[in-house]
Amino acid sequence: MAKKKGDIDFAKSFTELEQIAAWFEEGEPDLEQGLKRYERASELAAGLKAKLDEAENRIKEIKDKS
Amino acid sequence: MQILSVSQFVAYLNETFKAIWDSNEVAIEGEVSNYRVSQGQWVNFDIKDEESLVSCFMVLGKLRLPIEDGMRVRLFGYPRVYPKYGKFSFNVDRVELVGEGAIKKALAALRAKLQAEGLFDPSRKRTLPRFPKRIALIASRESAAYGDFIRIVNERWSGLEIDLYHAIVQGDKAPDSVMSGIERAHKNGPYDTIVITRGGGSFDELMAFNDERLVRAIFASKIPTMVAIGHERDLSLAEEAADIRASTPTDCARRLVPDKRDVLFEIASLEQGIVAAILSQIEEGRRLIELATTGAEHWIENFRTRVASLLRLVASFDPKAVLKRGFAIITTEDGSIVSSVKSAKAGMPVSIQLRDGAIGARIEGRQAKLI
Repeated sequence: MAKKKGDIDFAKSFTELEQIAAWFEEGEPDLEQGLKRYERASELAAGLKAKLDEAENRIKEIKDKS
Repeated sequence: MQILSVSQFVAYLNETFKAIWDSNEVAIEGEVSNYRVSQGQWVNFDIKDEESLVSCFMVLGKLRLPIEDGMRVRLFGYPRVYPKYGKFSFNVDRVELVGEGAIKKALAALRAKLQAEGLFDPSRKRTLPRFPKRIALIASRESAAYGDFIRIVNERWSGLEIDLYHAIVQGDKAPDSVMSGIERAHKNGPYDTIVITRGGGSFDELMAFNDERLVRAIFASKIPTMVAIGHERDLSLAEEAADIRASTPTDCARRLVPDKRDVLFEIASLEQGIVAAILSQIEEGRRLIELATTGAEHWIENFRTRVASLLRLVASFDPKAVLKRGFAIITTEDGSIVSSVKSAKAGMPVSIQLRDGAIGARIEGRQAKLI
């Protein structure tokens, strides 16, 4: 199945967001890195929220061919 | 008169039995005795009542529940004379236990056997991903269980792909139907999990989920399984063999997917934490820059003070500054400075230089003593 534009792997994105939050919690005082990660985190959070807002569950019956 | 060979006679009997005996309509009920299994595949036992006894033969693979001597059973199959030994027996296709007592006894025996084999071992249980993407659902499409499951999943989560493998969930055909779903799901995978569910029912209706072959198929599944059969109080062997047991179809949906409201809140919290952290990093950066600037200012101020005091020091060597403080410089006519009484002679004309000009004077006398 072709991936839709903007289709994200929810689990992967969520884990990455958690990792960024953990990095900040460790308190690395690197502002340049921090800004980069902050940008990425905003992007991830927006993607995750959009996914939850828009996507519906897809139900498909698999017929027995035999 | 008709003369038959022995083989013809046996064949005649067997054909007659076949013609008059409808194995779907007639069953024999009685008590099991002398139960034994030979070569791991043939089952022999007798079924009897107070007055009669019939030998029974069965293929082990057809036996879905363990039976033992003393159990009351109903046998489905057909009567037959075995040509080689002339032995009359009842060929059993299916055994039904009679009375809940017997069924429960058989179930307990099966549970003990599977338990001993490690089919319910908690250490073998796999966990499911927190955010499943694609699942196989084995349920009856007409059932309330299916409706409940889908409704709760839709209420809680989105973006999940659900492949429904419709199955018969009660009666004799149920175990094979559910097993076919498991098998097909393995071919169509990958799935994050296989969910098997049906709603509540009578003890008999739920018996399909105690079928040994089905329980083994769930145990052997390469895809993690989640099974919810009946109500909270019903515990089927299928559920015990599953990686995750849920009590009802609704509970199953809740365990399968998180509530998106919780997840949105969690995302917001993570985001807030990150924003707070980056703001404090920026604030920290600003503080460091300020600290550095203030430091430089201090240094410049120090430098300025030092330069000023040096300038003052230098200035103090300027003779004009000395004149300003009230001292005078006395020079002779040729301009040389009179700094000692020894160089002053009486009558000698001198020039006295003061802060704002010079005056002419004459030496009157001298005193070799500093005033």
